[in-house]
Order: sequence, then C-alpha cells, then structure tokens
Amino acid sequence: MKTKSLLNLKVQLAFAAAILTMLAVGAISYRALAVSGELDQWVGHTHEVLENLQKLMSAMQNVESSFRGMVLTGNESYLDSYHANIANAEQYQLAIRRLTVENPAQQRQLPALERLAAQKVQFNDGIIRLRLTRGFQAAADAMGDRTGTQLMDEFQAIIRDMQDEELRLLAQRSVDARRRLDQAKVALILGTLVGLFTAAFAVWSVQRDSSGRALAAEKLRESEEKYRSLIDGVQDYAIFTLDPGGKVASWNAGAERIKGYKAEEIIGQNFSRFYSQADIDEGKPEKELQLAVTSGRSEIEHWRIRKDGSRFWANVVITAARDSSGRLLGFSEISRDISERKETEAKYRGLLEAAPDAMVVVNSAGEIVLLNVQAEKQLGYRRDELVGQKVKNIIPEGFAERLIADGTRTAAEALAQQIGTGIELIARRKDGSDFPIEIMLSPLESTEGILVTAAIRDITERKKSEQHLVKTVGELKRSNDELQQFAYVASHDLQEPLRMVASYTQLLANRYKGRLDSDADEFIAYAVDGSNRMQGLIQDLLAYSRAGTNGKALHEISSEKQLKDALANLRATIQESGALVTHDSLPAITTDDTQLVLVFQNLIGNAIKYRSAEVPRVHVSAAKNGGKEWIFSVRDNGLGIDPQYFDRIFVLFQRLHGREEFKGTGIGLTICKKIVERLGGRIWVESQPQKGSTFYFALPERDAK
Amino acid sequence: METIGTSAVPIEVLLVEDSPGDVRLTREAFKDAKVHINLNVATDGAEAMAYLGNEGKYANSPRPDLILLDLNLPKKDGREVLAELKESPSLKSIPVVILTTSASEADIHGSYQHHANCYITKPVDLEGFLKVVKSIDSFWLSVVKLPRVVHT
Repeated sequence: MKTKSLLNLKVQLAFAAAILTMLAVGAISYRALAVSGELDQWVGHTHEVLENLQKLMSAMQNVESSFRGMVLTGNESYLDSYHANIANAEQYQLAIRRLTVENPAQQRQLPALERLAAQKVQFNDGIIRLRLTRGFQAAADAMGDRTGTQLMDEFQAIIRDMQDEELRLLAQRSVDARRRLDQAKVALILGTLVGLFTAAFAVWSVQRDSSGRALAAEKLRESEEKYRSLIDGVQDYAIFTLDPGGKVASWNAGAERIKGYKAEEIIGQNFSRFYSQADIDEGKPEKELQLAVTSGRSEIEHWRIRKDGSRFWANVVITAARDSSGRLLGFSEISRDISERKETEAKYRGLLEAAPDAMVVVNSAGEIVLLNVQAEKQLGYRRDELVGQKVKNIIPEGFAERLIADGTRTAAEALAQQIGTGIELIARRKDGSDFPIEIMLSPLESTEGILVTAAIRDITERKKSEQHLVKTVGELKRSNDELQQFAYVASHDLQEPLRMVASYTQLLANRYKGRLDSDADEFIAYAVDGSNRMQGLIQDLLAYSRAGTNGKALHEISSEKQLKDALANLRATIQESGALVTHDSLPAITTDDTQLVLVFQNLIGNAIKYRSAEVPRVHVSAAKNGGKEWIFSVRDNGLGIDPQYFDRIFVLFQRLHGREEFKGTGIGLTICKKIVERLGGRIWVESQPQKGSTFYFALPERDAK
Repeated sequence: METIGTSAVPIEVLLVEDSPGDVRLTREAFKDAKVHINLNVATDGAEAMAYLGNEGKYANSPRPDLILLDLNLPKKDGREVLAELKESPSLKSIPVVILTTSASEADIHGSYQHHANCYITKPVDLEGFLKVVKSIDSFWLSVVKLPRVVHT
C-alpha cells in the first residue's frame, strides 16, 4: 500500500512538473506572440504616423501650390483646392496628435508644427487678400518677403524631425521585439525540452514502477505457488483453511491422505463432519472455533473421523486468521494423526502399569504427565486429579528442584546427575498424610521434550525395619554389654562361695580322709572334684569375659616379644613335655599389649597339650598378606583335628576330648577367637587327624592411635 | 625398748576380712603351718581403723606386727583403709599384705601405689591357700625383720 501511494505521488509530481513546464512554455509563447503583435501594431502605428506626416506635408505643399497658383493667376478657382488642403492639413494634424498621444517627444513637436501651419495659412491668407484687393504686384511684393518660405521650411523641418523620430522609434521597437522574440524562442526551446524531459521522466518512472510492480506481483505469485505447493505437498499433516463459518476453503494432500476426502469433495463443506457424532452433539466443533476466535488458537487431541467413518487419534491446532483491521477472515487448521504416538504411549503406559512400583512421569515444567495405578493407590488420588498437576503436590520437596536447570547445567544435565540413584524423599497423599519414599529417576525422550520417569517406592516398611534394626542393634549391644558384665560379675561373685565350698570340702578331705566310712570318703571326693571343675569353669569364664575388654590403646609392639612372653609363661609346660618351639622372625604390629601373649600362649599350649606320641614340635611364623594384614601361623605335629570340628573347637567350653584324656574346660581357643576378632582379625585352623594342625590368625595392619 | 623375741612373744597379726569362712580358713591355715601368732580379726574397714586407733573396745588391743587386708569390705573399703594407714605416721610402718580375691590390674596397681607391701590373690583351692599362708609366715614372720614399737 505504501509503495503504491509513493508511486502515485511520484507520478503525480512528475506530471505536475510537466504541466507547470508546459504552462510556463505557453506563457512564454503567449508573451512572445503578444510582443510580436505589439510590434506589428507599432509598425502599423509608425507607418500611420509617417503616412499622416507625409499627407500633412503633401497637404501643406498643395496649400502652397494652390496659393502660388492663385497669386500668379489670380484665378480664384485655386482657392477651392487651397481651402480643401488646409482642411485636410488640419485633419492630418489632428490624426497625428491622436496617434502620437503616447509619445511625449512627438507631442512636444506638435504645437510648433501646428503654429507654423497656422502662421503659413495666415501668411497665405494675407497674400491672397492682397492679390484680391491689390493685385498681383502687391501680392508679389508681399511674397518677396522671405517669411512665407521660411515658415514652410521650418514646417517641413519639423515634419522631417517627426518622421525621423517615428522611424527611430520603429527601429528601436523592432530591436526590442526581436530581442524579446529571441528570448521567447530560447525559453520556448528550453521549456519544451524541460517539459519533454519531465514528461519523459514521468513516463519512465511510471513505467519503471509499474514494471517493478509487475515483477513483485510475479514473485508473489511464484512464492504463493511455492507455498501452496509446499502445503499441498505436505503428507504428514492435514492443512486446510476454513471460512469464518467453518466451511472448508482449501485442502492439502496431507488432508486428503489423512481424512480421505478429495479437495473437490470437501471444499465448501462444514468441517464438523471430521468430528464424531458424539462430539457434534456436544457442539465441540463450534466450541473449538469459538476458542480459536477468543484466544487466537485452540489445540486439542481427540478422535477424528475419516471419510470412510474410521476414526484416528488426532492432534489438532486451529488458528484464527484476521486481516490487519482484525476482521476474522477464517481459520487454519493443522491436524496430525498421532495414533502411532498414541500406540507408543499406550505401550509405555502398559509398561508403566506393569511396573511393581508407583510410576509418575513428569515433564520439565514439573507437571505430572502420566502415572500408573500403583501411584494412584499409593497417593490416594484418581488419575485425572493428578495429570497436569504440579509434582510438588505429591512430593513437596526434593523432586521438582532436581529438574531445574541453572546457570551451569541444563535440565537434562541436572537430571543426569540424579539418574540411577535412589533419592529418599517424603510423599504426600491426597489426605495430607506423609510417607517416606525412595525415587529413582530416568529420562524419557518424547515429542514433548525430556520427560522424567520417577519410580516411587513406599519405604515406610523399610524405614520401619531400618529403625527396628537400629533399635535391635542397640538392644543387642546393650544386651551384649550386659552379658559381658554378667559373665564377669557372675564368674567373680560365684567364685567366692565356690571357693568356700571347694576349700572346706578339701579341708574335710584332708582332715577326715579314712576317719569316716568309705562312702563318706567317696562322697567327699566327688564333692571336691565337682567344686574343682566348677572353679575351673568359672575362672575360665572370667578369663574369657576379661579377654579383649581391656580397652587399652593400640600401639606398635613386637610380636616376637609377645611370643617370648608367652613362651616364658609356658616354660613349665614346655620343659615338662620336652617340646621344641621354634619361630621365624616376627613383625612389629599395631595391637593391644597383652592380648597377643594370651593368643600365643593358648595356641602353643594347645599344640603341646594335644601332642602325638612324637616329641612336640611347634613352629610360629608370620607372613604379610597383600599389604593389608599379617597372617600368623602356629604349626604343630600333634594329634590333628578332624575338619568337621573346625568350627566347634572355637566355641566356648566345647571340647573334643574327655576330661580323663585332657584337662581343661575348652576355653582357650574361644579366648583366642575373641581376642583376634576384637583386634579386627580372624582365626582358623588347617588340620588333618594324625598330621598335625596349623592354627592361623590374621591381624590387620593399622596405624597406631 | 624390747628386743625382738624369736618365739616367746607371740606375733600380732590383724586380719581384716568380712567372710567368716575365709577367717576360719586363714586361722586353719596358720594352724596347719604351726605358726604361733595372735590372729586378731576386724570384719570391716571401720572396725579395722577402730582397732588400729585403739578406740572403744580395742583400747587395749595390741598394735599388729602385720596386717592382712582384704579389699572388698563393708562400710569402709580395704582401699580406703590402706590409704589411711599409709598416711598415718604412726601406722605406716606396719607392713600390709593385700589378700584378696581380686586379680584386677587396677587393684594391684592401686594397692602398690598406696604403698601396700605385697599383693596376694587368694588361690581358689585349699592347697594353694595353705601354701600362701605358709609363705606369709615364712617370709613376713620369719625372714623379714619387722619394726617393733615400744608399747606405751
């Protein structure tokens, strides 16, 4: 529009300029014609003046001739011509006066001319009278006076002056007229040229504009064609336009493909036929157009009906089209068959439903897109109450925040950091109650951008059992401590009365053996034996309860020194049995001061105690195991142990031999196990009956505290 | 100043022990060892201090030559008795033998810290106990020269 008005203005200006130029040229031409006319007029005028001057001159000469004839002849008939010419001369004088009225120079000459003419007539009249009265002589004498001739000469001189003046004027006017005509000629030529040029320019300009317009129109047509062919060629989308009343106005190939109608079948038909009868009954087609009118655009997904009556799940966008003044021109509709996507979604939904956990799919705006029945159950909502709602409604904290991109990471990256890790959060049911959950996030690429699938597991039970476990562990520890305490207290406090029983039964035995009857001796012997055994058990129990409970600081000690202390304690046993105890060089390790002595003592003691028929040989060595721990071994050539008892031998008061065979309560290895385990190590045995045993214990390497 | 008798003057021993069984056992052990001593008994820490301070009914009690002190006692603990004894200028020269069932390191260490002269854990069997009492007799009452103070 703007271009058009600009074009008009240009054309108008050009034409205005041309017209103005023409007017100017016309004016100049008119002026030139006027000048030329004026000049003709002046030429005529000058000739008239000259003629009158000439006639006046002739008349005066006739007056003179008639006068002289009359005088010479005395013929009075001359007087008729005389008077007639005087009258003519007067007529000519009047004419000259009239003709030269605008010429001051000539007017100034006129009075002298008229005076001279009058004087001449007066002089002539006097002579004529003399002739008539006095005759020729008198007249001739009077004529001899030079006055008459003089007057005539002066008169003729003035006439010549006036003639000259008129000729001079004529010449001057001719020059003026020629100059002005010349100017007019130049102006005419220039003006004509300018006019022609302007007109030519205007014509060129209009031509150019109109040719430009034609080009633009051509291009527009091409572009429209391209666009149309593009739209027409779109196969995946039905793209068509509706008039304001909802009748189909255009139809592309995609529309034909998707909906099954050909353009000629559908154009002019109302678009409501794409809706199901139920939708039509509900007035949906109108509602959607209304929505597009009010909000500019409506987008829905629903079932659409094809020509053959089959339906497809469609994504439909209807946009209102308006002109620049806002008048509704119609609508464009773009729809797409998303049945396939729907299928994928359905598949995905099927997977979701099959999942054992509650699953919620959330978009990057933190809105719930999809959820499964478990989620409905757990949260107490119906599906439609949650879809489209903020996930914050069900997980108030810690979820939506994890989806947010910030300055340094995108939403996808933010999400990636959460993937695969269980996040413990609190979920809120519809009734407002909270419960602990663990969620696992995974991303889901979709047509709507990245979605997040959250598997939500109700961990109420787990939390309960965790708490229960913590409580149980606490209780166990307390109970263990109590047991420990009990073992110590019991063994210590039991020892006192037992010592009385044992001491006095022994005293009884010492003092009264053989002094009572044999039954009494036997009874006393059993009592003494029983109390002695019980003392052994209690003492061992006490030793066991003490083992590893010293709580002494750990520090680096020489295990070799510990071994030597143990051997010193066992000196009597070793000497008595003739045992040969050897050892490799042993490392310095970080451990408790005295406990290792007990371990060596018990193991070597056992090695000697459970000896075979051979001389007992015991070898102690140590080897590093992968830089993390020291493994000590105590190898003997004793009786050996059946592997089925490997576990049993470490249990409190468990023995493999009868009391008659070997003394002891079966506490030694239990104490070793307790000490080693308290130090963070482990103890085990490798053995075969009759082939000796090797007891191993591993102690961790650690820094001294 | 009296001279130290060899056997004519009986040796005074104060046994601080709350268990009558142990008292009797100790007495029997000394008897078995055929040692001629005067065994005086205090059954708790307070009574022991009263005896040593010649208070009340102990106004005329003899000053002991040796004290056998149990640690776990009613009223006043054996550890307190030991501390008070060893802080008393007049009593600190009396040798104190700790004779107790406790074998705890803390007790052993604490007792020597308070200048106990020796620490013996009561053997659990009679034989051992008799041996210990014999040892006390042979060492403290025969080998060792004990300080004798003039009775005023």
